[in-house]
Amino acid sequence: MGTNPELVALMLADARLPTGGHTQSAGLEPAVLAGLGADGNKLGEIEEYARDRSRTVTRVEAGAAVVARYFALSGLELTPVERAWAARTPSQALRAASRRQGRAYLRLAGRVWPGVLEHLPGDGEIARPVVVGVVGAVTGLSAVQTARLIGYEDAQTVVAASLKLLPVDPVDAACWLTALHPEIEELADAVRGLTGPGEIPACGAPLVDVFGQKHAAERMRLFHA
Amino acid sequence: MHESTRSFRLGVAGPVGTGKSSLIAMVCRELAGELQLGVITNDIYTDEDARLLRSAGVLAPERIRAVETGACPHTAIRDDVTPNLLAVEDLERDFAPLDVVLVESGGDNLTATFSPALVDAQIFVLDVAGGGDVARKGGPGIARADLLVVNKTDLAPYVGVDVVQMVADAEAARGGKPVLALSRSDAESVALLKKWVLEMTAVVRSGRHTPVDPGPMAPHSHVGDDGELITHTHAHPHDQTHAGVEVDTDRVVQAHAHSH
Ligand SMILES: Nc1nc2c(ncn2[C@@H]2O[C@H](COP(=O)(O)OP(=O)(O)OP(=O)(O)O)[C@@H](O)[C@H]2O)c(=O)[nH]1
Ligand SMILES: [Mg+2]
Repeated sequence: MGTNPELVALMLADARLPTGGHTQSAGLEPAVLAGLGADGNKLGEIEEYARDRSRTVTRVEAGAAVVARYFALSGLELTPVERAWAARTPSQALRAASRRQGRAYLRLAGRVWPGVLEHLPGDGEIARPVVVGVVGAVTGLSAVQTARLIGYEDAQTVVAASLKLLPVDPVDAACWLTALHPEIEELADAVRGLTGPGEIPACGAPLVDVFGQKHAAERMRLFHA
Repeated sequence: MHESTRSFRLGVAGPVGTGKSSLIAMVCRELAGELQLGVITNDIYTDEDARLLRSAGVLAPERIRAVETGACPHTAIRDDVTPNLLAVEDLERDFAPLDVVLVESGGDNLTATFSPALVDAQIFVLDVAGGGDVARKGGPGIARADLLVVNKTDLAPYVGVDVVQMVADAEAARGGKPVLALSRSDAESVALLKKWVLEMTAVVRSGRHTPVDPGPMAPHSHVGDDGELITHTHAHPHDQTHAGVEVDTDRVVQAHAHSH
């Protein structure tokens, strides 16, 4: 199809791709409201938070994306993958936020990579990792590229949002992100071989769900989730 | 997406505190009886404006929705309008058929204008308290928004601003596009605003309207390869192929053939 998967991965990881990424903090805002970073006195907690996500909720996301990619490539219906993801995402608010993002990705993908519409409805509210997995299938991303993308995107969302929420030096943020590379590789490696919804990791982080749930009712917020 | 529920999407932009929310409340108060309306707000902290508008009691509260901007009000109406578009489409779906959806931008600086992918037309709001020379300084919203409002004219005597002069400056900067001197305490000006919204709604409905992008840049000139002075207006006409899709036909205005 003449498109280089590596370039597709770069596009998908780029915040300038219009998918509403500027409204997301990967749960950092509610965590900061709950005390993470101690008003700027413990900024190292931001990197730890991103690492914790990578070992828990992001693993669920990456697993769902890899399995969605596999299902799309195999011509299978994607509902079971979305269901398996939903069963592993207890917070209704976080499920809604992810599905809203999935809709933003679908709106883009429907025009940029129309093949996606052979698998998912253009106006669907479908979990973001499932949509990303299908985009990966259509554009030739490998399973490990798809998982790496999810892992990187989550960590980058955390550190980018930290610049708006706490007194962070942007170069420190880039250092944290770089320090997370081995973690992201480990994550990608752990889920790259998954092919069935039942294999998607079920490792949650209850506080992330509690924060996400609270944030949906929070008035003074900068970020959607 | 249901094509039949497409509303006239009207953006309201302008610097902080110039009266965008008040203008939207005014439009709702004046027109809620004749038109089916919805409102989207973009604020620094989520729902400040939405709450203000809901508490004004001019529109059913569920027709007023807030979009988070992640502290990027500029991005939200220009570079990545996705969350705003989704919110507009949701309103259009939930309250079909809507006639007009008003989208308030987060108060930003003079360069922030709406993308034509989000709105069909836009109002740029200045106020006299910001100083009489703001209109003369120009900028994309001032020069090329579909309507420029010079608001709070009732305050002019207190801030030493000559409204007539300010409007004349604005008209000079706008090449004939409308300027409205507005005050909530001046019923005649409120009637003119109402009239403009109704006329614009009719024009957009008739399909005769082509969204004009004020663009992020002021008109500027440079000397071309052949020594010609070229003035870019960046006021691009946009052909709507279908909802929200713009085809950019960059128009370059050749000013003077001026060689050295
Ligand atoms: N005197 C006078 N004050 C006005 C008028 N219109 C609005 N205001 C006041 O101007 C202030 C700001 O109005 P808003 O409507 O909140 O302004 P805004 O542009 O929405 O503000 P942001 O959303 O914060 O950027 C409020 O105190 C209004 O009451 C007017 O016509 N005359
Ligand atoms: Mg306002």
